[in-house]
Amino acid sequence: MTTHASMDDPRVTLDEQLGSFEPIPPYPPRTEREHEFYTVADGEMLVNIGPHHPSTHGVLRVVMKLDGERVVDIDPVLGYLHRGVEKLCENADFHHTISYMDPLEYVSSLFCEWPAVMAYEKLLDIKVPRRAEYIRVLTGELNRISSHLLAMGFHALDLGGITPILYSFIERDEMVEMLASITGQRMLFNYFRIGGVNGDLNHEFMSRLGDWMGRATAQVEANQGLLNENEVFVRRNRGVGTIDSQTALKMCWTGPNLRATGVPFDIRRAHPYSVYPELDFDIPTRSEGDSLARYLLRIDEIKQSLRIIDQCLHQMPDGPVMAQVPRLMRPRPGRAFATVEGPRGQYSIYAVSDGTDQPFRFRIHDPSFLHLQSFTLLMPGQLLADWMTINASLDPIMGGIDK
Amino acid sequence: MTVMSRAWGRLTLPGKVIFTAIPLLLALGVALALVVGILGGPIVELASQYGAVLRFLVAATIILVITIPTAFLIIFMEMKIIAFMNLRVGPDRVGPWGTLLSVVHGLKVLMKEDFTPSRADPLIFTLAPVVVYGSSVMTLVVLPFAPGLFAQDFNIGLLYFFAMGGLAVVGLLMAGWSSFNKYSLLGGLRSAAQMVSYEIPLTLSVAGLLLLAGTMSVNQLVANQSGWFTNWYVFQQPLGFLIFFIAVTAEANRTPFDLTEADSEIVAGFATEYSGMRFGFFFFAEYVNVFIVSAMTVALFFGGWNAPFPFPALAILLDPGSLGIWLLLGIAIVPLVGTLVLSLPFLLTRSAMPAWQAIVLGFVLFNVAVVGLLGVWAFVSFDWVAGLLWFLAKTYVFVFTFVWMRATLPRVRIDQLMGFAWKWLMPAALLNLFVTAGAILVVGR
Amino acid sequence: MNLIPGIGLVRGMSLTLRRFFQPKVTIRYPEVPSDVAVKFRGRLQLLYDENGSLKCETCFQCAQACPIECIDMGGMDTKGRFHVHWGAAETYGERREESALRRSGRPVPDPAYERFTPIDIAAVDSILEDFDHDPAQLLGILEATQAAFDYLPVGALMRISERTGTGYAQIYGTASFYDHLRLGALGAPASAPSAAPYLAALAAATGAGRQADA
Repeated sequence: MTTHASMDDPRVTLDEQLGSFEPIPPYPPRTEREHEFYTVADGEMLVNIGPHHPSTHGVLRVVMKLDGERVVDIDPVLGYLHRGVEKLCENADFHHTISYMDPLEYVSSLFCEWPAVMAYEKLLDIKVPRRAEYIRVLTGELNRISSHLLAMGFHALDLGGITPILYSFIERDEMVEMLASITGQRMLFNYFRIGGVNGDLNHEFMSRLGDWMGRATAQVEANQGLLNENEVFVRRNRGVGTIDSQTALKMCWTGPNLRATGVPFDIRRAHPYSVYPELDFDIPTRSEGDSLARYLLRIDEIKQSLRIIDQCLHQMPDGPVMAQVPRLMRPRPGRAFATVEGPRGQYSIYAVSDGTDQPFRFRIHDPSFLHLQSFTLLMPGQLLADWMTINASLDPIMGGIDK
Repeated sequence: MTVMSRAWGRLTLPGKVIFTAIPLLLALGVALALVVGILGGPIVELASQYGAVLRFLVAATIILVITIPTAFLIIFMEMKIIAFMNLRVGPDRVGPWGTLLSVVHGLKVLMKEDFTPSRADPLIFTLAPVVVYGSSVMTLVVLPFAPGLFAQDFNIGLLYFFAMGGLAVVGLLMAGWSSFNKYSLLGGLRSAAQMVSYEIPLTLSVAGLLLLAGTMSVNQLVANQSGWFTNWYVFQQPLGFLIFFIAVTAEANRTPFDLTEADSEIVAGFATEYSGMRFGFFFFAEYVNVFIVSAMTVALFFGGWNAPFPFPALAILLDPGSLGIWLLLGIAIVPLVGTLVLSLPFLLTRSAMPAWQAIVLGFVLFNVAVVGLLGVWAFVSFDWVAGLLWFLAKTYVFVFTFVWMRATLPRVRIDQLMGFAWKWLMPAALLNLFVTAGAILVVGR
Repeated sequence: MNLIPGIGLVRGMSLTLRRFFQPKVTIRYPEVPSDVAVKFRGRLQLLYDENGSLKCETCFQCAQACPIECIDMGGMDTKGRFHVHWGAAETYGERREESALRRSGRPVPDPAYERFTPIDIAAVDSILEDFDHDPAQLLGILEATQAAFDYLPVGALMRISERTGTGYAQIYGTASFYDHLRLGALGAPASAPSAAPYLAALAAATGAGRQADA
């Protein structure tokens, strides 16, 4: 009988180095910045947070240099969710790439599909039917609301409140079911097609939507009453992660995070696409630029999205939902850039065609990446617990960042 | 021999201790039995002489034992109440309405591997849960559950309570330091800072109450509040109660002051590296602490075991001897008649129900009625039953409040926590103390 | 922030207390099935036609179209035996590797484009004429063909299959069963027509050789 060493055997000892984790990398510093960061002064310590930490919104790893509880420096480490989506898309034909777009920002999948199909439509000179455009806007705004609700719920969860996330999920579940009845999936919709959408509005969707629209505003406001005036929540957010508009613009911020600094930049108005020029909605802004402003701005955006949905339902034209599109498409050689306003900011696709049925180059631009890189700007001087606030209020999605 | 030595080598440190202790304990037990057999008479005499000591030992054992069901109950309450507030159903699969789920949690914790990280300090790492659990159990000693139902009545009971409550921070600090984990260290240091800061407003908040009561014995404090509920100290010390409540929330590490185990920040704080029953001790200690601070709030400010209004003295005159032969007849007849009477409605109205089922149902109902009547009789006749029920009812209202706060509030930040203690709570507690002292000077006690 | 400190906390607490008594939204799943949308695509089930037989023909079009290659399937043959239509079971690993290669963007050797060398069909036809195109005399045909060509070229086997109506697999099986029949030219190892170069190319493309499972 062969004997195997058991971990219970006290004679089996692990190498002592194995038991302890030092966040300092084993190799000599490669850059000046790395040298600066990993040189720990007296009284400081490096704390590794993630990639499996509960409040990292995915698999983000962050190394923090702490002085007591005060953060001296911070180093986000990316790439734990890297799938090589761009390369995958360059080896799939144009229809396939849409399904690769979905898991990028997995809480707002439609906004990842949207720029891709827009880029292909530009490459192929396809005119999308107006009904399809309205359905895109309708489903997209629903998805924006669900994404914002999730962001707000997780914001509270990261601050220790366990209830708002569940209230958010009740509403989000309703919307997800709604979208499932029209797209066929609850999360990764794969709904937009080159030249239209994959299916017209149906009775199930419309009845669910009608039910929900009747109580949406009241429900969302009631749920947010748990947090908006809560002293503990407000004090933890006010003045934390403050950024002024100029710096935010220099850091290439977009979306609600930029609008919370007072810049009314919204792709839907700045570079109108789809049928947004025909719709009436405001661009809410706030001037503070702190975590609380970013949180409250999302509530305002939800209200505007509800307005848009209302108008879409009233102005929905009749007609086909798909243009005449060949099954196998070989666009002329050329390049196309398409951008949409997602729940987190500007989401863009740059696609180059070389005349084959696959994109020659496919570039995904994700706003969360640019928000994430501002950690180094926002964090120093704050407390350890403020990282959770800032991270939650910036609302990065690692699926889109790591691509 | 080698088998023995290998088996000995495979044992962990606690295992070695236990395997040495078991034969020793057996021998001791046999010796004790012999001693009792031979020296029985003198021992009984001695016990009657030192009745107080014996009483204390028995009470301490009971207290140690009742912490486990208390913790189970509060864990279940927490799961269920938070679920209901989240519009969820909560545990509903194990046992009726999921009530056994917390017991299953306890078993799960027992069955998990007891893991000590390498580079941890094994001795302190092992001792820390004991210190934490021990401190919370020792606090129970001064709690008056009912008239005559307490382990020990110190004349410095309140001081003892604060001292033992403060001991827990030593355990948390030990756990945080010995785990060899930066999250644990941060959690331990946070708990030290938090507890030391909140001890001061906590102690100051009851100083006004002590001025009013003139005693530190918790039993005496509760006895002072008898009569109508307006005698409760909460109406004389509302500010003191508010400060006390906030400070004990921080002392018990409950939301919104649960920074020591802030799961979204420092994973699990001091308990990050703990698993198995050692984690279970922390877990239980937390819920026992919730019970203790609720009970202490009730005892100090809400009249303890006193009913909110004095009951009219109901003297149930029950002298069974005077009934004579009718007593025997009653014992024979009443169950039969009661069962039949109570099954009559089912027999008459539910034609689908077989007669035997109706009779069984009637028997069950009769038993319920008898137990209820006995309970009412006990409630009226015995002070301690009524006192215990009132005390537990009030205590669980506060347990509910703690759980309710956990379901609602986010967590404060460490600097806001400290600032709140030093800038708001302590001045308010001092103000409360001075106003009370002034009032006593002017009005008299 | 409100004028009265703590009013926000009180409002939140009152909200949660109201929710405590409200009906719950949880769907108790195994007892209460959740209402799945009619159009829901996540259902993993095969559909039946009006006659009660499966609509799926195991044509593998869906598996080939699936971008993440999560679909795989097996089917029943006419004798009721379960087997997988899309290539033999032992080539699963190769298919997996091939799809991994395709995802990685490197060129993938395709065995379908491996051409057999052309031969003089007339010789085979005359042999078949001699044997009266009789499939029962397959061994004789094969021996005569080997006598003519010195081995059994793939083209000749395909011609025999075409003219006699016997399946190529049966002819190939017969040819590979008898030791005296050679599938490759003398000197070349007798093996399946295209597997070896394909596997070699695959090994070269993957960089590391496949696990020696043969």
